[in-house]
Amino acid sequence: MNSSKPLTGGGLLFEVLEQHGVEHVFGYPGGAIMPIYDALYDSNVKHFLCRHEQGAAFSAVGYARAAGKVGVCMATSGPGATNLITGLADALADSIPVVAITGQVATSAMGSDAFQEIDIFGLSLACTKHSFQVSDINDLENVLHQAFEIALEGRQGPVLVDIPKDIQQAEVTSRLEEFSHLTNKVQLPLADISNAIDILTHAKQPILYVGGGVGMANAIDEVRSFAEQTGMPSVSTLKGLGAINADNENYMGMLGMHGTKASNLAVQECDLLVVVGARFDDRVTGKLNEFAPNAKVIHFDIDTAEINKRRFADAAILGDLKANLPLLSMSLNISEWQAKVKQMKADFGWRYDHPGSKIFAPAVLKEMSDLMPKNTCITTDVGQHQMWSAQHISVDDPCNFLTSGGMGTMGFGLPAAIGAQISRPHDTVIAVSGDGSIMMNVQELATIKRYQIPVKILLIDNAKLGMVRQWQDLFFDGRLSETDLADNPDFSQLARSFEIKAQTITEKSQVSEALKEMIDHQGPYLLHVKIDAKDNVWPLVPPNTANDKMMESV
Amino acid sequence: MNDYKLIIMTDDKQVVLERILQVTRYRGFLINGMNAQVNTGNQIATIELFVSSERPIELLIDQINKLIDIKGVKVDNKAENNGAQQHSA
Ligand SMILES: Cc1ncc(C[n+]2csc(CCOP(=O)(O)OP(=O)(O)O)c2C)c(N)n1
Ligand SMILES: [Mg+2]
Repeated sequence: MNSSKPLTGGGLLFEVLEQHGVEHVFGYPGGAIMPIYDALYDSNVKHFLCRHEQGAAFSAVGYARAAGKVGVCMATSGPGATNLITGLADALADSIPVVAITGQVATSAMGSDAFQEIDIFGLSLACTKHSFQVSDINDLENVLHQAFEIALEGRQGPVLVDIPKDIQQAEVTSRLEEFSHLTNKVQLPLADISNAIDILTHAKQPILYVGGGVGMANAIDEVRSFAEQTGMPSVSTLKGLGAINADNENYMGMLGMHGTKASNLAVQECDLLVVVGARFDDRVTGKLNEFAPNAKVIHFDIDTAEINKRRFADAAILGDLKANLPLLSMSLNISEWQAKVKQMKADFGWRYDHPGSKIFAPAVLKEMSDLMPKNTCITTDVGQHQMWSAQHISVDDPCNFLTSGGMGTMGFGLPAAIGAQISRPHDTVIAVSGDGSIMMNVQELATIKRYQIPVKILLIDNAKLGMVRQWQDLFFDGRLSETDLADNPDFSQLARSFEIKAQTITEKSQVSEALKEMIDHQGPYLLHVKIDAKDNVWPLVPPNTANDKMMESV
Repeated sequence: MNDYKLIIMTDDKQVVLERILQVTRYRGFLINGMNAQVNTGNQIATIELFVSSERPIELLIDQINKLIDIKGVKVDNKAENNGAQQHSA
């Protein structure tokens, strides 16, 4: 701080950020947030200028997810603020702790349709966990502290703080001794432990259904030792990938729409689902009333509202997974079931043989997974390449697989990788993107260039909006409507114009060397991989169908 | 459609009404009416909310309860179920 100047609202913002350990923020300036950017000038917080506010929001999400910290983004009023919204919605759907700061027109101008005035506070109601609009400089400090507390408390999520320009400029005359903590925490009902133990002891064919809540609760060790001690076969959601170690012999991989055949068949047959930090999402369950039709449910969660929301829980255990799960740990006599599951796993393993010389994306992703250094953080965009990544890349921690799960937002991958790399400068970060998705936040190549962020981009190019094309082929009589991208730019040349090293490959024989070159390269790198436009993601459970009725080819 | 009356105890914060209405609509409940006195200068406000839906009322209670400003929600519906269920935040 420059001690000759009085502390303003803007300066206070950065003091509070520093008190919460924030070292990096992502943002974009503009008129109504200028006093905050002026205060930034004197601050120790490092700001990354993204090239679109959506990029800033996703970088904050990637930062938060990769490092397990709160991500912070900021934007000006009006269009700056609305550009953050998709990122906030994404963070809400995936329960990611983000604090978004928006500038607002001065209090006196609010409500007058002033230049760049939008009711971002009203807009935020549906896409944040909570939001604040500060109307008095004396409230600012408390609000900012509460924003961090709310983002991290219970089920995590995004919080928006809208700060009018005059509040940013106002002089701070008194400081808090201590901020007021949240008082209205949801009281969790007593856990049904004895009932759950009873159900578990009687189960003959139990399955552990692992979701994103495990990583968020920091309960990976507890879930792994529960899986070991019970010997229970396990399956994972998209967001849970990495929570169970891939070498656990009873782990069957992802379940749901593009889950493994073994996972989906086993879940349909099981007599008990032990659900940890998962929420019976429709992409997981397929036709809900035919999902795991014979199973009782023991549901562990931090959010009361998830219990009985989509599936009745025979026993609900609300609260901290880390503390609660060990209470149920016991050895089970389920060797017949384990043997059956192992057989399914062996019978329905992935196959990487593929005729012809064209590149087969699943094989590329598998090879990359085998080559990449330990602790590599993968981000993905949305589409076929995302599902192939989930199927064929193995990670050992959910913070190493960042993908837009609940919202399925194209444009996530590149800015999330930037955030991840900034939070973990010593780990390799690879964004797996598609030719459609990368164009949604392609401007962030400029952020990579400016800060020389050594992100690797594996671009799977099928010259299509592939996932939509696949659905049009399968479910809309092949009427390909607006899914062709044959006129894509030359992606390698595009990358080079941002001083990013790049290479395009088209043949299987080029894959190994190109992957090695990308991974070993010190700086940013784009590997452009052209694949056949007709390749599909298998298996696929068609919409509103039971999970055991998956399609495996056309 | 089932009719319910919810009694919501909340910190008397700005826009708490707007938050409750947004959640109620989004979760699939039709708002038939409400009685509310807010921004009274008291710390706590009580809101009566009349809703109808095919969905179980517990789904809405849990979601309203999660709002940061809410202290507690109970359903008071003599027609549907005798005796009120208590859920507190
Ligand atoms: C912002 C946004 N718009 C539209 C969609 C719908 N959508 C889902 S996948 C997809 C195609 C993605 O194409 P690409 O990135 O090339 O991936 P591919 O499926 O070809 O691997 C689209 C349009 C979406 N998920 N997100
Ligand atoms: Mg594509």
